[in-house]
Amino acid sequence: MSVLDQIYQKAKENPRKVVFPEAMNEKMLQAAYETGKEGYIIPVLVGDKEEIKAAAAERGYEEEVFEIADIHDEEYRKTLIDRYVALPWTLLKEKALNRRMQNPLYYAMVMQAVGEADVTFAGIDNTTGDVLLAGQMIIGLKEGISTVSSIGLCDIPGFKGSEGSLLAIGDSAVCTNPDAKQLADIAISACDTVTALLGWEPRCAMVSYSTLGSGQGELIDKVTEAVKLANEQRPDLAIDGEFQFDAAISPAVAEKKVNRESKVAGKANIVIWPDLNVGNVGVKLIQQFGHADAYGPMLQGFNKVVCDCSRGAPVSEIKGNIVISAVRAAGSRKTETEKGENA
Amino acid sequence: MDRKELETQVISMVAASYKRDAAELTTATLFKEELGGASIQMVALVSEIENELDVELMLADASGCATIGDLVDLVEGEM
Repeated sequence: MSVLDQIYQKAKENPRKVVFPEAMNEKMLQAAYETGKEGYIIPVLVGDKEEIKAAAAERGYEEEVFEIADIHDEEYRKTLIDRYVALPWTLLKEKALNRRMQNPLYYAMVMQAVGEADVTFAGIDNTTGDVLLAGQMIIGLKEGISTVSSIGLCDIPGFKGSEGSLLAIGDSAVCTNPDAKQLADIAISACDTVTALLGWEPRCAMVSYSTLGSGQGELIDKVTEAVKLANEQRPDLAIDGEFQFDAAISPAVAEKKVNRESKVAGKANIVIWPDLNVGNVGVKLIQQFGHADAYGPMLQGFNKVVCDCSRGAPVSEIKGNIVISAVRAAGSRKTETEKGENA
Repeated sequence: MDRKELETQVISMVAASYKRDAAELTTATLFKEELGGASIQMVALVSEIENELDVELMLADASGCATIGDLVDLVEGEM
């Protein structure tokens, strides 16, 4: 069973509510309907109720598959605002929030923030920048995390890594030139993302052109500092480096180059690039030469799961990303519950 | 509110969001080069402006401001 099949199965076992602020977009409506009809999620559409109902009917979609949040329903909006401003962490006060909520993207995120939905899914009518900024304003960043970032999941034919053909990589899409603190945050967020999505025990390698001091220079210093900061912030996670890419994923190379104990060297299941130049080139190399399927980018760092899909994405890809987001949300909720029980 | 008053208010909000002393800041202070910071600080600043000055700013426009003075112009245009 492929990784995507496993994720689809997980989604079906525990369908989560996904809120769609771009419900009037034809591709988005189709993807929301199909993932809802097939039982992977409960789609919640935000917008003008009558317009949405008409658009769904025109396409022959069964109305009962969706929940609709009518952006003109003043009573519901007021309830959402009251619940939102009562949360311990909020930037906007009532009046400013009410103004922002004229925009379905903000409306959807407020619903998610107060627990009316598990995921906000957008990115076709809104730009990535719109989604990232709205997410930071309404959902906020996780405690201790200073940047939004992303990871991708690669399924690489013939690769025999510590998770079979799978390898998580980040950040290949969002954070352009992270400083050491931001790089540490990307690694920490990546560990939490793969735990929530796949249930892996994360082993996260921070890569560079040097392995444990084999090279020297400021590019390496940033990575070693990031490893130190990440370990100070989250000693519970296995984050190690700096490693060259081969020392991170190949046991034979790690044995030669890493002359100390490491839970990560040679068996990393997450690789963190030092910057977006490396990250973007890296993912293209894996795709072009490794003939890999790359899933994502999955945004991380937010308090809850926010998903931005590519504006040119076909419906099949949008559906895959919807289901991945829903499984991440279910996994995050499970981890939070477990943390609560152990506190 | 006159321009000078608005400048003082915006500078005080920038100081709070970027954790600086307001006395160090002027309308010529550059966001990227002098204040650094991640986008989360700009988001917090825009939120504060919206709460206190009763305007709505496009986050992308605010992020595009080079100086505090540019941001004051943007806010003034929306009032």
